[in-house]
Amino acid sequence: MAAQASYSGDRGRGELDFQSLVDLHYGPLYRFAMSLTRTESDACDLVQQTFLTWATKGHQLKDLSKAKSWLFTTLHRCFLESRRRSTRFPHLEITEAEAELPNVQPDQVSHLDAQDAVQLLSQVDEQFQSAVALFYLEDYSYNEIAAVLEIPLGTVKSRIARGVAQLKELALRKAAAAGKTTGGAS
Amino acid sequence: MNSSEAKEILLLYRPGTAELADPQMTEALALARQDPDLGRWFEQHRAFQKAMRAGFQQIEVPAHLRTSLLARMQVQPTVITPPAWWRNPVWLTAAAAVVLLLGLAGIWLKPRPADQFANYESRMVSEAQREYRMDLVTNDMRQIRQFMASRGAPANYDVTPGLKRLQLTGGGQLTWRSNPVTMVCFDRGDKQMLFLFVMKRSAVKDPPPETPQLAKVNQMLTARWTRGDNTYVLAGPEETDFLKKYL
Repeated sequence: MAAQASYSGDRGRGELDFQSLVDLHYGPLYRFAMSLTRTESDACDLVQQTFLTWATKGHQLKDLSKAKSWLFTTLHRCFLESRRRSTRFPHLEITEAEAELPNVQPDQVSHLDAQDAVQLLSQVDEQFQSAVALFYLEDYSYNEIAAVLEIPLGTVKSRIARGVAQLKELALRKAAAAGKTTGGAS
Repeated sequence: MNSSEAKEILLLYRPGTAELADPQMTEALALARQDPDLGRWFEQHRAFQKAMRAGFQQIEVPAHLRTSLLARMQVQPTVITPPAWWRNPVWLTAAAAVVLLLGLAGIWLKPRPADQFANYESRMVSEAQREYRMDLVTNDMRQIRQFMASRGAPANYDVTPGLKRLQLTGGGQLTWRSNPVTMVCFDRGDKQMLFLFVMKRSAVKDPPPETPQLAKVNQMLTARWTRGDNTYVLAGPEETDFLKKYL
């Protein structure tokens, strides 16, 4: 596909046409946006806004191999702006996740669809959601997630650890509730 | 490292990533192999991670999004090149950016067609459920009306008799698809909030009827109605006699 051939020659200095950029990244960007906003229209708006920003400012990016990271950072900024956050997220130590470690049975969470995943994430503390979404959606390293979210590496790890711990707790509750409604747990 | 510390580290485990080379991760993995309880926990954790990852990967991308993106950007396969003075003279880059910006602004600023009320309602309920911000914290409705008028948001809204009985806590001005929205917040008295959203009826193609209707949206109860030039959405926690109490 054209998407795979979008970078020509040296990835750092090659040319990148807009259509190929869209083909390469609109899917992952939409999934990230959807995990943050939970509604299709809002997620589409965020992706639109991200590419609009690229169209007007993307030429400032000197290293095109960083286009993906640039787009994710831009989308996240657009999301934060749309949310008009008034409080700063606190830094949380990873050790604080200790008390939130449930023991989830594998057969209780072996089947989760997209709606389940997004719904569970929506119930996690908001300051953890972006990091957790990137943790599951993309094969970014923690350093790359820190760059995308523009937060320190330690904060990324603590947010992911706490967010994942909360997700497991939520999954456990959901599985338990489903067991009750169906008349018994597995 | 004990079992509890190992669990904290293993929460960050992802198969096939560079993090596996981290000394702490290596130690935690070794402990999981030696400690049967920790080993079982880790197996369960991996199954959970696999299910979650699969769930996220199943998020379907709308079929229209790509077309919409390309159409909106008026793509004529534009080539964007890194700025290099010997390849892109500054004036040429600047001129191209200005032309592109003007073109995009023309499209972007073009009035969008009225949209569905359900989308608006869902978005407002989401605002109420997430962290919201009151631009004005006050128990004086006149101040809120003045503030909204200064922002171009609906200020001539009706407050129902039921809401008048509640404690007013403040308001905020929101936007939905370029349309200003007035948000007025009331304290129900039990640390629960009620949110009244007001927007021009012309902003949606299917405004609700004048008789208030109840609906459940994203785990909240809403009443929606139209009066005069405005549409109203009242959102709050689910409870009985919602209409009777607040309208």
